[in-house]
Amino acid sequence: MPDPLRLIADVATRSGEAALALAGRERVRLAVTGLSRAGKTVFLTSLVANLVAAGQGVGIGRRTLPGLAATDGRLRAARAIPPGVEATPRFDAEAHLAALAADPPRWPARTEDLSTLSLALTLRRSGFYGQVLPDREVTLDLLDYPGEWLLDLPMFGQGFGEWSDETLARLGRGLRAAPAAEFLAFAKALPPTAPAEDSLARRGHALYRRFLLTARDELGLRFLQPGRFLNPGPGGDAPVLWFFPMPEAARSSPLGELMERRHEAYLRDQRDRFLDPVFRRFDRQVVLVDVLGALHAGREAFEDTAEALAAISATLRYGRGWLDLLTGGGIARVAFAATKADHVPEVSRDSLASLLSDLVDAPRRRAELAGAAVTVHPVASIRCTEEATALHEGRPSPAVRGILLENGRWATVDPGLVPARRPPESFWNAAYFEMPVFRPPGLEANGRGGVPHLGLDSLLQALLGDAL
Amino acid sequence: MSETAPRPPRILLEEEAGAAVRLDHGWEEGTAPVALPSAGISTLSLLAIGVATLILGFAALAAANYVAEQFARSAPLGWLTLAIALGGFGAILWAVVREFGALFRLRTVDAARAAFARGDLEAARARCLEWAAPIPIAEPFLPALREAPDLPALRALLESGPLAALEEESRALGRLAAVQGFAATAISPAPALDALVIGWRGLRLVRQVAALHGMRPGIAATASLLRRTAFDAATVAATEVATDTAVRAIVSNPLVGHVVGEAATGAVAARRLITLARAAAAACRILPRG
Repeated sequence: MPDPLRLIADVATRSGEAALALAGRERVRLAVTGLSRAGKTVFLTSLVANLVAAGQGVGIGRRTLPGLAATDGRLRAARAIPPGVEATPRFDAEAHLAALAADPPRWPARTEDLSTLSLALTLRRSGFYGQVLPDREVTLDLLDYPGEWLLDLPMFGQGFGEWSDETLARLGRGLRAAPAAEFLAFAKALPPTAPAEDSLARRGHALYRRFLLTARDELGLRFLQPGRFLNPGPGGDAPVLWFFPMPEAARSSPLGELMERRHEAYLRDQRDRFLDPVFRRFDRQVVLVDVLGALHAGREAFEDTAEALAAISATLRYGRGWLDLLTGGGIARVAFAATKADHVPEVSRDSLASLLSDLVDAPRRRAELAGAAVTVHPVASIRCTEEATALHEGRPSPAVRGILLENGRWATVDPGLVPARRPPESFWNAAYFEMPVFRPPGLEANGRGGVPHLGLDSLLQALLGDAL
Repeated sequence: MSETAPRPPRILLEEEAGAAVRLDHGWEEGTAPVALPSAGISTLSLLAIGVATLILGFAALAAANYVAEQFARSAPLGWLTLAIALGGFGAILWAVVREFGALFRLRTVDAARAAFARGDLEAARARCLEWAAPIPIAEPFLPALREAPDLPALRALLESGPLAALEEESRALGRLAAVQGFAATAISPAPALDALVIGWRGLRLVRQVAALHGMRPGIAATASLLRRTAFDAATVAATEVATDTAVRAIVSNPLVGHVVGEAATGAVAARRLITLARAAAAACRILPRG
């Protein structure tokens, strides 16, 4: 049941925005969704740099996004809106670009906190009447955040008991079982009268957190909750985080009650800090998925990624009902993007997109049924490789070539077969493969020339084309 | 799909790339803005240059011959003729130099805009100072412009300082021209004369606004300025459409029309002079409207 006060506030905000849109000042909120290491920060950096480069003015704007129809003469200006009095940190695209262009170059570090940026796009109207009407100004709101926090979204629909049962069941299965064994043994040993003792709570939390870190960093798993256990954010390790999933037998104990209170407080805090400012209202969504990384990390990691994406999308509202139009909720357009598409040769990119389409089948269908426009794209936010050929058993096979970040050597990478849909059992017999990190291409430190990319323009056209 | 093991991923290491080597996609060249090919000198310009060369060249030759003849008659007469010829041709030369100076000043505006687009702080600052130097309104802002730490600051200082002041002055000029234009058309005996009066007042207004921006446009510079004004008017006029329509609606009202009579069309034309002032100011702006 929606909170009536929040509903009224949403309606009021939406009405104001609708009035501004009528006056040619629209606001488009783009949610960049992606699990950790999917490339959200690099995507946003590239998007900002390429839009700003394209919007330097008629006749001097660079053709960085040829597939985005609005850049074909109608985009008169694109600039980052100067900071006002926002409490949220500002997404520093310039600093990220400078780091990528520096010598030695640095890819953005793991995102630790929320940050936002708004771009003002001045567009000449299209059509006959558009020539005599003033220019439109579209504000594009962008947001960066730790990908781990996304997995908190499904938690909002569950109580402590339900969440504990589901999590413990998942922990006992497959790849997770071995690293989670110590925590599971501890949790199952808790008596029904376990006291609300701090040392017990801290021990359980530490064991659970250790498992989460191992699962993320060594097993390549993504469906790991709660997100702030992995990435506490600027608040650091606070008592609100010191809980863990408990077996049913011990849940009514004083320790169980303490854990439940902390679980509730955690969700409340995440709602205020993350859900409300970020995921309450947006109109467009791009879902970034490192399909290749998931594919090379093995079957369980691949399926885990699919499960995580389905769980996240199940919590979002797609389509545009009358209530959504009134409150500004509901996502009208969704684009799924297989990131790091430059790590596979051109001939495999369609397969990569097709594999992603299969991987996100459940959320894609859900969005389509609700009436949202859904597209799937292979994308490289920053293109770090060129096409090459590698010999395999004496026969040439398409590959990519780039400079490795770690040792500065040229390397030709044959990413192997990229299946067009979920691969059969035999595919997983291959050893775990970690795609190397490439050195970024030559960039201007100030980013005025934009950033080399693959497919970013067609993704933006599908996602924002109607609004620009 | 077959059940045989697929081709596994592989990394084939090659030689060292060197610390500073980066992959070059030819991005810079591939994304360069489409430059409109220069049409070169137009036929009309070529014709004008030819006619001017013939007239001035033959006139100079004829004058030289005449001076030589005068010297043959008597030295004082020769010196007098030479002085008159030098004075006349000097004035023409000075006019040409001034004309080129005005054109060059328009180029400064373009160069500054390009420097801002490139993100070249030093060039943008130099152009801004060069542009602002002869403008009295801009004088108090010169020290701040000199000390601007980066492009956004420079842009903000220009926008809030000299550009805002110049825009206000341009509007005042536009309003004055509108009042004069309206008064002239209200008392003019023939509608054909109205167009002439408004046309002349519009031309004068463009030159006044240019002078406000430190330019002294001659014929060629005015023509260039008018071309730019027409281009910028596309955006400026758009914002004026609503006002224009409102003025037209009011003055074409039968009751009001009865009172103001023929002056109604003059009111619309006067309104357009205000728009013209804004468009001319936009053409002279060192920063494009963002």
